[in-house]
Amino acid sequence: MKGLLRNNFYATLSNAKTFSVILLFLGIFVVAMDNTIATLIIDYMLLVMIGFSFNSIASVRKESATKWHKYKLTAPVRRTDIVKSLFVSELLWLAVGITFAAVSTALSISLHGNPFDRNMDIFMLFVIGVGISLFMGAIFFPLFFLGGEERNEVSLILSLLGAVGCIMGLKTLINAFFPAGMTDLQLFLSGVMILACGILAFAVSCPLTACIFHKREY
Amino acid sequence: MENILELQQVQKTYPKSDFTLNSLSFALPYGAILGFVGENGAGKTTTIGCILNTVRKDGGTIKLFGKQMQDTDTDIREKIGVVYDGDNFPGYYTPRQLDKVMAGLYTQWDHALFQKYLEDFHLPMKQKIKYFSRGMTMKLAIAAALSHHPQLLILDEATSGLDPVMRDEMLDVFLTFVQEENHSILLSSHITSDLEKVADYIAFIHHGRLIMTVSKDELIYQYAVMRCRENQFLSLDPADIIAFRKRDYQIDVLVTDGKAAKRKYKDVVIDHVSLDEIMLLLVKGEQR
Repeated sequence: MKGLLRNNFYATLSNAKTFSVILLFLGIFVVAMDNTIATLIIDYMLLVMIGFSFNSIASVRKESATKWHKYKLTAPVRRTDIVKSLFVSELLWLAVGITFAAVSTALSISLHGNPFDRNMDIFMLFVIGVGISLFMGAIFFPLFFLGGEERNEVSLILSLLGAVGCIMGLKTLINAFFPAGMTDLQLFLSGVMILACGILAFAVSCPLTACIFHKREY
Repeated sequence: MENILELQQVQKTYPKSDFTLNSLSFALPYGAILGFVGENGAGKTTTIGCILNTVRKDGGTIKLFGKQMQDTDTDIREKIGVVYDGDNFPGYYTPRQLDKVMAGLYTQWDHALFQKYLEDFHLPMKQKIKYFSRGMTMKLAIAAALSHHPQLLILDEATSGLDPVMRDEMLDVFLTFVQEENHSILLSSHITSDLEKVADYIAFIHHGRLIMTVSKDELIYQYAVMRCRENQFLSLDPADIIAFRKRDYQIDVLVTDGKAAKRKYKDVVIDHVSLDEIMLLLVKGEQR
């Protein structure tokens, strides 16, 4: 597994470097700006969390340009481990995105004060960022191995749109259960529900992807 | 003799093409090099895919180290080194990064040995692979395949595209590898001169069907080609003919025993035969 994670890391590295530098400068700008209107910090938080995850899953395609994807199957690793490593890699990059978001939000609040009506709003932003990232991975990986490398772009777009759709659908459902003017506890519970659904989708997607990958020939 | 690799009645059909791997059977003993020869599209890569489980076979059995390999048998794959034709590794890797990845994949990965191969092959450690020439990428693939101390090397067209000097250098590496009696190589190639230099056995595949498996010495020293005129050809015993090919003014006939043929057909010119010529006769000629 260690070799596979290293492999995934190198695949993502060059894009991640560029992405990190851009987001670092953007983060400095966001922190430096007055945050009376929270839009800037909200957009930044979502961008870093979803962006790093997107970058991680988009890098899977890079291997198909060579025989490496076939070569890996001849190494002493199981196909299930190859799939697991992709899911773990996405989680690690999501963690990087969460760190970027957390640091910039903390700095912005400490410098300019809290722009949100309630602290729970910050938690909900993290829930949405993490939720979209988890759903995106859960949809992308099975699609990628089902449709093949040549349909990678379609799989990426579908997974991003699908993930946003899942979160919107869940929010609609939650709003139907909890009427307007939700308490902090209700907000927290709805956040936990969204996270639980995202984690469940991610966890179910892993064996499903492994099952599809087992049937693939190279 | 014990076999490191054994294929019996292996079958594979691709539903969307007319290609079929037709009941392929051959064996590779310990301490030997088996040259797997055939024209492009003959089924060499499909066979290797079946051996390595990258392609699912429809029938038959394949035994590696006496055992049928499943996806979970990582211990078997620890003992196999593989080189594919072309780009084996992602272009964004450097050999240093490849070293780290391989160390995480193979428990027996030998960092010092890999370094030694890189030095011997004059490969830079920090340059990205995408800037390597074809020869350099093949050398790197061979270095990587050897650096985890495998017992079996499976080389799919590993020498194609290399210049003769580099090919010779690589063949020497293979011969050194097979000095150890528990080491073997399956060398798929359509460059028959390479196989003449190193192979102990030759397996010919044509249109997914194995047409001949024979020791190289037998092939070189016993097999022969008879240069017949039309009337001489008609008088030949059909049992003596493996394959024949009509040319402008003569018919070339492949026979298994050149000396016996010389005794039996005194007025026919009989020549030694190269692997190239055998392959042409078997592939382009007619068989009886």
